Amino acid sequence: MAPYTNIPLSPAELSYLHNSLSQNPPIRPDGRSPTQFRPLVAETDILPSTNGSARICFADGTEAVVGVKAEVEQSRTFVSATGEVGAEGVLGLGAGGVGDVDMDEEDDEQTSRAGKGEETWLEVAIEIPGMRDDDALPVFLSAMLTEALLADGELKDRLWINRRFHWRLYIDILLLSQPFSYPLPLLSLTTHLALLSTRMPALLSEKDEDPLFNDDWEASHFLYPQSEGRSESQRKPPVTLLVMSVGENIIADPSREELAVADAVVAISVAPSSTPDNEMVLKTLALRTVDPPSRLTGAGVPTALNTTAGGTSLTAAEALVLREKDQGQTVWRPPRGGVKRAVITRMIKLVTEQGGVGQEVLEGLAGVET
Amino acid sequence: MPSEPAPSTNESTFLLSALRENIRLDGRALDAYRPISLTFGSEYGTADVRLGKTRVLAKIACEVTTPYPDRKFDGIFTINTELSPLGSPAFEVGRQDTTELLLSRVLEKTIRRSGALDTESLCIVAGQKCFHLKATLHVLDHDGNLVDASCLALVAALLHFRRQDIEVKGEDVTIFDVREREPIRLTIQHRPFCVSFSYYHNGEVMVQDATLLEEQCRQGEVVVSMNRFGEVAQIAKYGGAPVDGLSVLSCTTAALERVKGFDRMVTEALKADEARRDEGGLMAELSAENERPTGSMLVGSEN
Amino acid sequence: MPLDSSSYSIAQLSTQAAADGSSYLEMGLTKIICTVHGPRESPTRSGSSSQSPGAHIETSISIAGFSGTDRKRHGRNDKRTQEMQHTISSAFSSTLFTHLYPHSTITISLHVLSQDGSLLAACLNAATLALVDAGVPMSDYVVACTTGSTASYAGDGEEADPLLDLNGLEEQELPFLTVGTSGGEDKVNVLIMETRVQVGRLEAMISVGLDGCRQIRGMLDRVVREHGERVLEARVA
Repeated sequence: MAPYTNIPLSPAELSYLHNSLSQNPPIRPDGRSPTQFRPLVAETDILPSTNGSARICFADGTEAVVGVKAEVEQSRTFVSATGEVGAEGVLGLGAGGVGDVDMDEEDDEQTSRAGKGEETWLEVAIEIPGMRDDDALPVFLSAMLTEALLADGELKDRLWINRRFHWRLYIDILLLSQPFSYPLPLLSLTTHLALLSTRMPALLSEKDEDPLFNDDWEASHFLYPQSEGRSESQRKPPVTLLVMSVGENIIADPSREELAVADAVVAISVAPSSTPDNEMVLKTLALRTVDPPSRLTGAGVPTALNTTAGGTSLTAAEALVLREKDQGQTVWRPPRGGVKRAVITRMIKLVTEQGGVGQEVLEGLAGVET
Repeated sequence: MPSEPAPSTNESTFLLSALRENIRLDGRALDAYRPISLTFGSEYGTADVRLGKTRVLAKIACEVTTPYPDRKFDGIFTINTELSPLGSPAFEVGRQDTTELLLSRVLEKTIRRSGALDTESLCIVAGQKCFHLKATLHVLDHDGNLVDASCLALVAALLHFRRQDIEVKGEDVTIFDVREREPIRLTIQHRPFCVSFSYYHNGEVMVQDATLLEEQCRQGEVVVSMNRFGEVAQIAKYGGAPVDGLSVLSCTTAALERVKGFDRMVTEALKADEARRDEGGLMAELSAENERPTGSMLVGSEN
Repeated sequence: MPLDSSSYSIAQLSTQAAADGSSYLEMGLTKIICTVHGPRESPTRSGSSSQSPGAHIETSISIAGFSGTDRKRHGRNDKRTQEMQHTISSAFSSTLFTHLYPHSTITISLHVLSQDGSLLAACLNAATLALVDAGVPMSDYVVACTTGSTASYAGDGEEADPLLDLNGLEEQELPFLTVGTSGGEDKVNVLIMETRVQVGRLEAMISVGLDGCRQIRGMLDRVVREHGERVLEARVA
């Protein structure tokens, strides 16, 4: 996992933060509750030359802009008359649903597309100032975001036009500020908004002929339609949120300082899936642990080992014992070992439960005027 | 890593105060160029330009390749600038610095973008085969005014170059070797040349053809590219101290005269080269007699 | 539409809290975000023992893949981009008081969100605003605009007035130039022309360009002063 820039806090500060966050209830530096999100400013449809765009500014000054563009591309796979998929090295994802493609079928467009999409039709590119495209951070972030977007298999199917052509969706993510705090939630929320506002031109041509679209942009349809009616169209793009744990406490939307003392940091991607009662139920699409920067900060030196502070010189074995057993000699020690499964379960629940953090974020974003 | 040593305060103060009285260190007039010599090599498409101590060499090479997919009817023309430590201790192999960047951009705009070379004439079979013309510029010695010298060398080399003759019969293409058929000239639409102006004292003093020292002490420069018909191909003033709009315009007028001079020089040099190659005329070509070694060579071989 | 009409061009300062100075500029459909960091300590460069006597100005331009009509990924090492970066750096080197900050670097980062012509001009204007917001002392604004010649399309070539502030389509079709001024009326700081034009047309183009720059300077100055008033009010209240 990609570690990121060191936060210059002294061992004493780190210890203070860690202790505060370990309390019950945890005391956060800015006084928020454990599940309280910081305010953000968001706007969509800001770029004229894109299919969808969004910009989000977090309270700490970090800012991101996402533009979504779609271009028609010729498909390499073809579907023969018997419904077999002829492909070049592509997993037979479409084998099941494609078998009964009937030219005269007047089925709902959605179900007839099922399984025909390909993951290569989506391209996510992240640009972070000061970093090259092959640096660890942009590569990891784009992998994480792509994984979440493709996880439910729905998005790529929406890109299918006919058997010969498809949409290629380019998501260009621009981080405008320096990456001081881990930018994953910011980029994911901005991508979510941009995709929500993405419109695709209306198809005029029929079946497999060369695609022809309606020039009237008013006739275009949303990539993620948000109609009031059928429950199938309540799909939304995923959001990825960062959740951290300190001891038994779980904290959402961690700030930079809080991340510096985290015991474990987890990135959870969720998206709503609708039940027949039109309730929003969040399902987990992806889960990744993130290496917390707390591991990068070295432990403090106990006074007994510090020769300049008058400590006597000990043998190697004694020094090792002192360091390992610690007995409260050092102020700060980076967390060791992994995170308990029970804690992870609680983290996921925090995000996905009814009225939880995930739902709060999604409802907040839905309120942004397109 | 090594950069050109900056001129000492003494040198620059002396130069600038002399310029205030319209005196240049080598005694030239403000708009006078150093002696220019243009020579062609024995191969078609090589031109060597000396401008005072500055020396650049241009070479043109041609090969057959596939055209770009979005430009099916055009051939490919690329300009490559090579600034090696041979030219100046400030240059490093492989590292691209500002001098190289600006030189290559100005040449791009002057020669490629202005359409001096008709790329459609390089097309052989649309969408499949075309000529890729590679122009390489080697800077052998840097004593200021690389831009003017380079452009002169490149244009002269392009005019001098002969490419292989081809014959297209339907789908078949025959590319004749130079020995089978006379190579043919390139289609040059117009001849653009660059004229650089360096200015000092807030634009009051404008100097043409600056030496390296004059370049290091200047406040800014304006590069104008024109052809002899008065068509301006590009103008570049990359920042530097602000100057009057009128001064910039006067540069273009002065440039026109200079460009006409360049054009004349190139035409004369080409004619002289033609004459040299064509020595003896047709009868010499048809003669079956071999070249005899001269007397001095015979003496040497007897040992 | 006049250049300083508020429905056509938008200029804002301090759009990003995390940067020392920032601005957002729209000229028609060309939208640029600019952030400035500095003056701050230069990262130690190996081998250069003698640092510059003044601040070093570093410009980086990133053109977003979604900025044009077609989606196109722009490499950072593109020569054209590098040339623009050099132009912007040297345009400001004559107006910023770099002698006050030896051994420092001022970093100008430009993000092109959408381009529809006048790219270099918009970048220069956005950078000026961001530098003002960052509080970098300077002798004057650097303002720029584009002019194009319609002479070849006009019936009577002598009467054709040059166009001001070209959009993308016009830039493709007409010969045009970008002119940047600073330090008083009619003082040309930057002049870039990459298309062929008859030398006789230049005078008209440059004078219309200088006039356009005057208009833009007025607009930018107004924006800066309004922003300044708001900042003062926020402090006092």
